[in-house]
Formats: sequence, structure tokens, C-alpha cells
Amino acid sequence: MHLLKNTAKIPGPPEPLGRQSAFDRSFVILVSLALAAAIAVAWLKGPMRVVEIAATYLGFLAVLSPKILCGFFIAASVPILIPPMVLVRWVGQDSGLRGLSVATLAGTLVPGGPMMIFPLAASFRAAGATTATHVSFVTAWSLFGLNRTIIWEMSFLHIDFVLLRVLVCLPMPFLAGWLASRVTR
Amino acid sequence: MNIMIGTVVLMALAGWVWQRLGSDDRRQYAYAAVRRMAMTNLPRMVVALISAGLFAELLPDDIVCLYLGDTAGYRGVLIGAALGVITPGGAFVAFALAAAATSAGAAMPTMVSYLCAWALFSLTKVIAEETVFLGGRFIVLRVAVSFPVPLIAGVLALWVERVFA
Repeated sequence: MHLLKNTAKIPGPPEPLGRQSAFDRSFVILVSLALAAAIAVAWLKGPMRVVEIAATYLGFLAVLSPKILCGFFIAASVPILIPPMVLVRWVGQDSGLRGLSVATLAGTLVPGGPMMIFPLAASFRAAGATTATHVSFVTAWSLFGLNRTIIWEMSFLHIDFVLLRVLVCLPMPFLAGWLASRVTR
Repeated sequence: MNIMIGTVVLMALAGWVWQRLGSDDRRQYAYAAVRRMAMTNLPRMVVALISAGLFAELLPDDIVCLYLGDTAGYRGVLIGAALGVITPGGAFVAFALAAAATSAGAAMPTMVSYLCAWALFSLTKVIAEETVFLGGRFIVLRVAVSFPVPLIAGVLALWVERVFA
């Protein structure tokens, strides 16, 4: 509650970190790849197959859309609920087991894609977080960011697979962070 | 089933977040941000998902079985990791390809190392986004301390599979 009271005074929402425009170069590359794949499939298996695949995956996207929209909403709200500066203080400068745990937890829970996470990680460093916590944060987000796991991985792959993958990856952010602290000491 | 569970979990979370936002003002800010995210990401998702489906169609089953299948073992884990690094694009591309490869006969440990390698070291993400915000030095260090992760995860998965198979 205390947190809510503080942030209520902020006049505007925090600008989305590292905004990306919709139709930039990477989008052009993506479209060219799609076209190349479409031509290859049409050539090998006939143009109807391209239409079938497109319809299947668009249908899949429609099924996923409630999840995707909820994910967007959560990702949009977290910076309002927890201002990045609070998170930065929270991740802090402790590079012991506690610091690495907090960084791992933050990496798992903070929603958003690379364009949100990397600027946030950069602000951790600006606030004095050690390289080790930093590595733990990025590793945890990469390996089991909840947003990605729930929205995408669980939609495409079997739950047994997802659980096993997360399980074998669980120690990795600590391991990477610990190694980083040895290297940078 | 997975999709339903995930949808329910996310809806509950979104509802909780909506309630925590408290005031209409803050909800409006959130809605505006959602609109911006949707405008940026939805066109990408549509194109990326369709092209993932097309690429999945192009995966040759026999080659997938040979190099990524059950008989591939440790070598499969290594190949999976290498493929993960060079897979471009967002989450849906890698997961869609992994799902397609699995139905074509790829083994589970191979896909574990593939997805871990993609998540940690996907070249397009590292080059286009991580270097910009975090700088080359950090990335060199991060890669140096975490490059064995996909291999360790893949080998662990291989052992788990052997124990339970």
C-alpha cells in the first residue's frame, strides 16, 4: 500500500523503456524471410499448402490472443506499480547468495521482451549493481522469464518438457552469477 | 490444455494487477501502453508466426531424426545448442521450430539445449539489442561465464531421460 501511495503522485506513466517502432529494418528482414519461406513451400508443396499453414498459425494466434493481451497488460502495468528505481534499489549491490537470488527472482518475474529488459539491466548497473547480479538477472530472464514461458513456451510445447527444461536450468543463473563474481573480483 | 491453463493463470494475474493499479488514471496509462505494445508487436507476431510455420514445414524429417533424434545423444545436444545460437527472431519462432522439430522426431534433451542456447545467445538478440544497451564488455563476460549452460542443461536432460526411460 505504501508503494501505491508514493507512485500515485507521479504525473505521467513511465515512458516504455526502449520503444521500438513497428515497421523498422528488422520488420523488413522478417517479411523477406517469410516471403522466401512461402516461395520455398509453394514451390515444394504447392501454393495451397502456404495458405493452409498461414490459416493454421493465424488461428493459433487467435487462440493465444487472450494470453498475449493479458501479458501486454501485465507488462505495461508493472513499471507503473513498481517504478524501475524501486526495482533497481531492490536488486541492489549485494553479490552474495542473497543478491543473486533477488536478481534471479527479478529476472523471472519482470515481464517484457528484450527491449524492456536490457534497458532495465543497464539501469541496474548505473545504480551500482555488481556484474554478478547483472549476469544472474539476464540469465534468469533468458532462461525462464515467466511471461515468455507462460505465453509462448507452454503454448507450443508439452508441459512435461517445459517443467523439465525449467528444472534443469534452475541452478544456472546462480552458477553464471557466481562464476562472474569470481572472474570480476 | 496448456494453453487454457496459461490463459487462466495470466487472466487471474492481469485481474490482480488491474485491481492493484487502483485508480482510473493509472489504468488509462496502462491501456495506452498496451495499445503501443500491440501496435509494435502484433504485426511482427503475425508475420513471425506464419514464417515459423513455413520454416517448420521445410524441416526435413530424416535429417532432423539423424542429427537431433534419440540416437544423436551428446552430439545432438551440441548440435541443438549451435542451432539455437543462429536461430533469429522472437520467442515464438524458436518455440514454433522446437515444436515442429519435436514432432519430426527431435529428442527432448536436444530441444532443451536448443531452447537454452537460443534464449541465452540468439545472435540477433545479442547483436541488435543487448550490445546497444549493455555494451560489448558485459556481453563478452556474460557469454564467457554462461556458454556451457545449454550444454549442461541438455546433458542433465539426457540423464533425466535415461533414468526415467
